Amino acid sequence: MVDRKEIEHLGDLVKVDLREPEKYIKQVEQIIKYFDRLDAVEFNSDATLRNEVDAENLRDDKHEPCTISLIDHLKKDQNNFIRAPKMV
Amino acid sequence: MNLGISATEFVSQAKAGTISVEEFVAKTLDRIKLVEDKIHAFITVDYQNALAKAKEIDKKIKSKDKVGTCFGMPISIKDNICTAGIKTTCASKMLENFVAPYDATVVSRLKSEDAIIVGKVNLDEFAMGSTTEFSYFGPSRNPWNVDYVPGGSSGGSGVSVSAQECLASLGSDTGGSVRSPASFCSVVGLKPTYGLVSRYGLVSYANSIEQVGPMARTVEDVAFLLNIISGYDSHDDTTVKNEHVDYTKDITLGISGKKIGIITQMIGEGIDKEVASATNRAISKLQDLGAECVPISLDAVEHSVAAYYTIASAEASSNLSRYDNLRYGFDFGTEGYEFKAFILKARSNFGPEVVRRMLLGAYVLSAGYYGKYYLKAQKVRAMIKAQLDEAFKKVDFLVSPTMPILPYKVGEKIDDPLKMYLTDINTITANLSGIPAISVPFEISSSGLPIGVQLFANSFEEKKLLQAAYALQETTNLPEVPL
Amino acid sequence: MTRIGLEIHCQLTKLESKLFCSCKAEYRNLASNSNICPVCAGLPGSLPMLNKKAVEKAAMISLALGCAIPEKIGFFRKNYFYPDLPKNFQITQYNAYGPTSIGSDGKITIEGKEIRIRRIQLEEDPGRLVYEGKSMLTLVDYNRAGTPLVEIVTEPDFETPKQVRIFLNVLADLVENVGISDPYLEGAMRVDGNISEGDGNRVEIKNVGSFRDIEKALHFEITRQQSLLERGIPVVAETRHWDDARRITVSSRSKEEEQDYRYLPEADIPIVLIRNESIENIKKQMPESIVAKRERYIKKYGIPAQVADVLSSDRFYSDLFEKSYNEKNAKEVANIITTDLLSYADTREKKLELKITAQHISDLADSIMNDTLTRNSGKQALQEMVKTGKSLSDVICSLDLGHVSDAGSIEKIIDEVFQEEEKAVAEARQNPDTINYLVGKVMRKTKGKADPTTTLDILRKKLSS
Repeated sequence: MVDRKEIEHLGDLVKVDLREPEKYIKQVEQIIKYFDRLDAVEFNSDATLRNEVDAENLRDDKHEPCTISLIDHLKKDQNNFIRAPKMV
Repeated sequence: MNLGISATEFVSQAKAGTISVEEFVAKTLDRIKLVEDKIHAFITVDYQNALAKAKEIDKKIKSKDKVGTCFGMPISIKDNICTAGIKTTCASKMLENFVAPYDATVVSRLKSEDAIIVGKVNLDEFAMGSTTEFSYFGPSRNPWNVDYVPGGSSGGSGVSVSAQECLASLGSDTGGSVRSPASFCSVVGLKPTYGLVSRYGLVSYANSIEQVGPMARTVEDVAFLLNIISGYDSHDDTTVKNEHVDYTKDITLGISGKKIGIITQMIGEGIDKEVASATNRAISKLQDLGAECVPISLDAVEHSVAAYYTIASAEASSNLSRYDNLRYGFDFGTEGYEFKAFILKARSNFGPEVVRRMLLGAYVLSAGYYGKYYLKAQKVRAMIKAQLDEAFKKVDFLVSPTMPILPYKVGEKIDDPLKMYLTDINTITANLSGIPAISVPFEISSSGLPIGVQLFANSFEEKKLLQAAYALQETTNLPEVPL
Repeated sequence: MTRIGLEIHCQLTKLESKLFCSCKAEYRNLASNSNICPVCAGLPGSLPMLNKKAVEKAAMISLALGCAIPEKIGFFRKNYFYPDLPKNFQITQYNAYGPTSIGSDGKITIEGKEIRIRRIQLEEDPGRLVYEGKSMLTLVDYNRAGTPLVEIVTEPDFETPKQVRIFLNVLADLVENVGISDPYLEGAMRVDGNISEGDGNRVEIKNVGSFRDIEKALHFEITRQQSLLERGIPVVAETRHWDDARRITVSSRSKEEEQDYRYLPEADIPIVLIRNESIENIKKQMPESIVAKRERYIKKYGIPAQVADVLSSDRFYSDLFEKSYNEKNAKEVANIITTDLLSYADTREKKLELKITAQHISDLADSIMNDTLTRNSGKQALQEMVKTGKSLSDVICSLDLGHVSDAGSIEKIIDEVFQEEEKAVAEARQNPDTINYLVGKVMRKTKGKADPTTTLDILRKKLSS
């Protein structure tokens, strides 16, 4: 079910270079198999559990400048840009 | 000077002037230096600021200035809770040198009450684990026997309180991460109702189910901390606007006439014999105090581990996406890299358990699988909550062993993740349903290892829950930590 | 048959703060990364705090486009790695597991053609990437990150690029009129298209800079797809980018590696309950619709339909009209705005520079109606007021624009003209059709101030005597 190709695809989705994919194959497969138990659960309701908030209680649209100069705490160049790698 | 007093006792002595805050904090820091080699609770200790702050508070006390209710109480903070100016590493190489530019709401509330943050304590990387062995900085060890795990993921919190390196600690509880180390280290640990305590500044792992929770030596101490950290926060949309409650008031009320349900799924099969018999003794004690105890079956609990790890890994895989080493992180530049190569390199610094959960999360959220895994897991949550609501119509509290097993040896389960996941069976119910749960130290096993008992109440009934926990605590007589 | 659908990103530029934090919603012309906080920069531990007004504005545009608003709306995370996304996911809305986006199933009829709106979703804008030099190093500015926007997704109901253009113009007027956005701000409205010919595959077109370009891109794409089909070559389902320089669409180089966004509910934002009373409140706050406004202009003030069209569809003109008119001069005010003022205010920049106020327009209309100014002088006065912002009376004074309508003065001037233009006078006596030449001479001498009717009367009398 979970093979090398699948593990590498998952690694690609979460952008982790799996240097030893084999190490993960068995464990992920074992745990997914355990998750498959959910298939056997009989539900008598489609309800899910989520917090709710009334639209009227949301944050007011007010501009408040950040109390710190955040960019000074980040990795930046002399022009206060964040430097990203080359985007092909 | 006794560093093993309760936080409440410390406050009354500091207030009365019978304790010098500076001396207490200095002794605490000495203690940390003395025992850290053996137990490794801390990732960062803030020696200088802690002492300076203690002097400042002593001055305020002497000159009768207004002093915050903590009176310089030394506290440790789990290292996934942001503290301005002190590193917040999440026990990960990814954030090895990360200094948050802001305080978590719980931290700023403690500071404004004159608590002293003595340092940041160890955890499983990004709180993913049940033993604190998955820390990039190495495992913490159980002060009751250093060959054993202290529980986790808030292992450093449990160890630091238990080993008298501080008076109290804040942990975070996603699936039992406060209660597991509380049980294994013989301290009190509370997982509050989801939405009672702000998560602003808590580095997210599974954000739909986790809460910051207080850990301390006594139930009163935990109530005291909850008074400070609970309540609506304008930085967290999931906090609830309830009226403020004083959790310490009437804490001695007792549980006479209350009804307690014993969760049959949590005390039967698979439970360590000594843990089971200790729990039964706790139940008899509660009955002696006038509570009526009845068995309650929550069959949805059987699905809880699968549901919990589905949700936790799905959310983790998304929450941990932001660590790409562009805006913050360890220092290697972007020059000469193409985007994908850069990000793959940066993110291969996550530890194996974190990677495992991200892979699992990617799997269950992949196109076409949402209905099969995540949605079903969400429905299990609702099912558990519905069964709990039914139960709480009949009983005031529920009881179970906090952990189904005794603390085990470091390294024993580290290579079998599923086996480790299954040890969370008793704690995750509270996270999936959002209800509060507390672990109270109850006995020490024949092998000298702590056993905790867990009590649950319905959502936002922390006051009642703390009264019951206090009643249980008063039946115990536990030895000093042998460290 | 050609089928075209659109995805329009429209920033909610009328908000003060971002979608999930209190940083400024207006990110333009700021020093790089100066408009960021732990939330919009995606720092560990930060949490989104949903902007109430953003929900209201998104509800407004949903209502204006005939969409249903559900009782509960929810947010999802769309997970993908890109440097402009500080969290490497975008908080957006998603209807695959039930309608939880702010609007769905709307429609709007334009020139008799019904365009169905599939959904409207509220979401955050990513940051901005700047490419540096030949090395194409990527620099990131997060000032825009977290700016609120709505994505409006239509069904593939358009058949021609022209229909698309008309729809987009109407939509731009609409968002401006509803007061959710200034569509003319750079980057405030961005359009992606999808297009299929006959039974062929659907092609997405992205990276289109402006409304004008989407029409061109669609034309190009229709021709391309048709010529493929004529030669029996199937159209590939793909994403193509509009190459602005070469005016063609180009297949995206990234081999369409199938994106798996792993959508997941955003638990940091609770489900938002929108009660009926809230919707009623929002409706009350909504300005009169363009259609209702047009009807009112025609019915109540007798403004001609074409004038009412122009006036009602442009928020700037209609606002000016509303502030300028009174019961008596409404028609004249409408006329001034839509004929004379138009040339001074046909672009956004010009509108911003106008010095003219409602008072100016109102005074001008009154003066024309009570014959203190000729329409001609009125035009001159308007031009001056637009430039200088001086009051009408000052302008009349400084340009000497007072109306000459007393017969005596006009007769005197006509006498002068008769002396200077003997030949023309003789001709006019022979052929009354040439009289306009003489009228023109009188006007020139009076700088257009002479009353045209009086002038004509006296001229006729003198010529026939």
